[in-house]
Amino acid sequence: MAYLTQPDYVKYACSCGQIKPITSLYFCRHCLQIRCGFCICHEVDSHYCANCLENMPSSEARLKKNRCSSCFDCPSCFHTLSTRATLAQPRQTPEQGSGDSKVENKQAKKMYYLSCFNCRWTSRDVGIPDQPVASGGWPERVNPNATRINQLLDYYKAIAQQEKQEKLDRERKKFAIRGKYITLTDKTGLTGAMARNIAGLPSSESTMSAIANFVPSEASADVEELSEDFYTKELNLNQMTSMPQRLAAPEWQPSSVSRLYPIAKLLSVKRSQRCRACDHNLTKPEYNPGSIKFKIELLAFYHVPEVKIISYEPIKPGCTSALLLKLTNPTGHEMQVRLLQPEEVPDTEDRLEEPKSLEKSLEKSLNLEKDNLWYETVQRKADVTATCRVVTPDVTLTLAQRDDAAEYDDDATHDANDIILWRKSNKLALRLQVSCGAEVGAASAAEAALALQYRYRNTVPAAHEPRDHTLHATLLLQLGHVSG
Amino acid sequence: MALYEGIALIQEKQAVVLDLGTDYTKFGFTGEAAPRCIVRSEFWCPAERRYKRLHDYSSPQELYDNIVHMLHLLYFRHVLVNPKERRVVVVESLLTPTLFRETLAKVLFIHYEVSGALWVDSGRASALTLAAPVVLVVSIGARDAEVTAVVHGCPVLRALQSQPLGARAVSAELARLLDEDNGRALNLPDDVLDDIKVRACFVPGREAALQWAARGVPAEVREARRGADAVVSRRARALSAEPLFARDEELASLPDMVLQCIAQCPIDARRALAASVLVTGGGAALPGLRARLAQELRHLAKLPPYKERLQELQFKFHSAPAHENSVAWVGGALCGAACGTGAGPGSGSGAGGGAGAEGRGVSREAYVRTRRLRDWPCLLHNTPHKHPHWDML
Repeated sequence: MAYLTQPDYVKYACSCGQIKPITSLYFCRHCLQIRCGFCICHEVDSHYCANCLENMPSSEARLKKNRCSSCFDCPSCFHTLSTRATLAQPRQTPEQGSGDSKVENKQAKKMYYLSCFNCRWTSRDVGIPDQPVASGGWPERVNPNATRINQLLDYYKAIAQQEKQEKLDRERKKFAIRGKYITLTDKTGLTGAMARNIAGLPSSESTMSAIANFVPSEASADVEELSEDFYTKELNLNQMTSMPQRLAAPEWQPSSVSRLYPIAKLLSVKRSQRCRACDHNLTKPEYNPGSIKFKIELLAFYHVPEVKIISYEPIKPGCTSALLLKLTNPTGHEMQVRLLQPEEVPDTEDRLEEPKSLEKSLEKSLNLEKDNLWYETVQRKADVTATCRVVTPDVTLTLAQRDDAAEYDDDATHDANDIILWRKSNKLALRLQVSCGAEVGAASAAEAALALQYRYRNTVPAAHEPRDHTLHATLLLQLGHVSG
Repeated sequence: MALYEGIALIQEKQAVVLDLGTDYTKFGFTGEAAPRCIVRSEFWCPAERRYKRLHDYSSPQELYDNIVHMLHLLYFRHVLVNPKERRVVVVESLLTPTLFRETLAKVLFIHYEVSGALWVDSGRASALTLAAPVVLVVSIGARDAEVTAVVHGCPVLRALQSQPLGARAVSAELARLLDEDNGRALNLPDDVLDDIKVRACFVPGREAALQWAARGVPAEVREARRGADAVVSRRARALSAEPLFARDEELASLPDMVLQCIAQCPIDARRALAASVLVTGGGAALPGLRARLAQELRHLAKLPPYKERLQELQFKFHSAPAHENSVAWVGGALCGAACGTGAGPGSGSGAGGGAGAEGRGVSREAYVRTRRLRDWPCLLHNTPHKHPHWDML
């Protein structure tokens, strides 16, 4: 059971040991394991602007520093800025009569400025001239420190270059067989220069000059004193920028409101997710930024039986209470489900009961070599110690396949017994007992752990005939608090 | 220039520079003049349904998760690149806890599979932005103020000073003063205090501060109000940074730290250090702080504990080509751009003071083999390569 705004009452244990609601889990059909955002590999798929829904190739995005060229954010409240048009009147000269003014009006040009509908900030507030075109053309600002940083970069690169050269020279000297005579080329270093020329490397002179012409920073004895205004003038809080406003533009970090400039909107990315163990894609979004669909979407929600809590009696220490659960089969195949205690779930290793073909085991060993590193470092045992125990009946329940048309049938099959409350298409309501230990203190969180064993029909790879697997899922139910 | 950059990008992905601060994280690309983003070091934790700070952890496992979530936010929300097979330059304090360093390395190499990482200490990185041979770096961070003497690209470790005199100390004092002004406990949240500090506070000159502390702040100027609930008096605005300069028997104020650092440095470097002070860190952005520090230094240098040891020091101050809060980051960006690959050339002790720390860059393969980082307090890394210590690994 997962909601957008409420706590997650039912959580599943991921194969990496994280405990998460089913809506944030994935299911790898190739490893037959539950995966989550923590244990999969995220990749940037495509860049797009969330405002104008324009795709941007990653090379272009890199050049534009991941900023959209036509959309801007308000530097004051970070709302998206809107472009407003005005008619600019060409300035009238006093000699022109009233008759001419009509002609002038016709020639009035449309000018555009940026305005925030949320906080009423406009680009005119900070003296940015109106633009004759609706999008783009806004003046770009350069970082005042950029030139100095570039000087520093050139200098350090030159030093690194020189050092590399010296190291090479040293090594060459070490191994060079000394001839009797020093040749002319050796003495003048002509060959070296020629080799550099041919290789297209910057000549050593340029690195030398970069080092020679560089001026290190000069310290000065007089520090700029605090301006008198701080002692005498009244503080106007409306003129000072807040911390988020400053940090929105890390290059400039304006301290006064008059220095706020529109911020080009940061792009967003579509991500694709990959299973670390088998390198198959778990999700892959569609390229079109307007589309919220996926090309590949292996979510646990579509593959693992979902459990919802219908209701439960208040949990009391040392007593058993009734618990009503609803099981849903999301797959298109019939599913057998058994309820187990979490301790009964076999370990991951012997859980995979795949037929051992040669290629399969080869692939597996390759994968193991590659990915053991991550799993052995990060994998944890899921912590499903719970205060309560669900009394698990030893029955195998059959869940029908999901059938979108079944909604329209009225006749719920009534094979209810003391466990099954009701059954409707691919859903099943269960009546279970939860026993709580006598030593559990009142008002502590009541949690019950439960494991599901289910038959899962694997339809990949399509060439083979589908195989059935027995899989397990461990879940944690939150049953409010233990009442006293 | 653009053409060259293009070629460089085809050859190798542009590395990223990471500075995980206590309050603010700086993240961006090498070779650029400013970080792409400066964000609070916190992330939305869906399990606990609150913003969680990166440095709030009680177990190594929790720290691991925190770093994973924080880096995910940085890579996929702000900088929008794949972390995989991309190098990272990590800017950190010399006093970063070993657990934090090791966990960060584990997350970077194992979880995000970066191809290499280079650890740069913030003192040296800050000095790189000046390219001056001898620099005394006074860095006022969120929690600690650190004074590092960088002499020809090498931090003088035994003179390293650190005191909890960062922005948090200023915030605490501001909260106290505001409570006094309003006559009740306001319990303002951190971000509101930050906002007041950033927009209203300043550091008065030495004479004014002494006068005001003794006789109270003249109230001829109307008080600023923030909303309707809290009055921010001029006294609170002016005196909130006083804890940094308050001297006690332990001589642990900010100017004392600077002077002690100079006094513990080799005698030949002392005068050069005093003549080349760089004040950095987000806490140093308070208006007037540099001027006040200069006045205090010149005053204290004439007083007993320092008079005998430090004679005729001329204090001179640098200004770095970056904003105070991102100076160390810019140094890391320069270092990453100049050193090239992690296994590439490390430029040693040029006049610039060590453009790259040789042997510090760790490639993924090397990390996977040894699973440890070089660390200066570690005895192993301070012994020669033939020492039997190395065989015991």
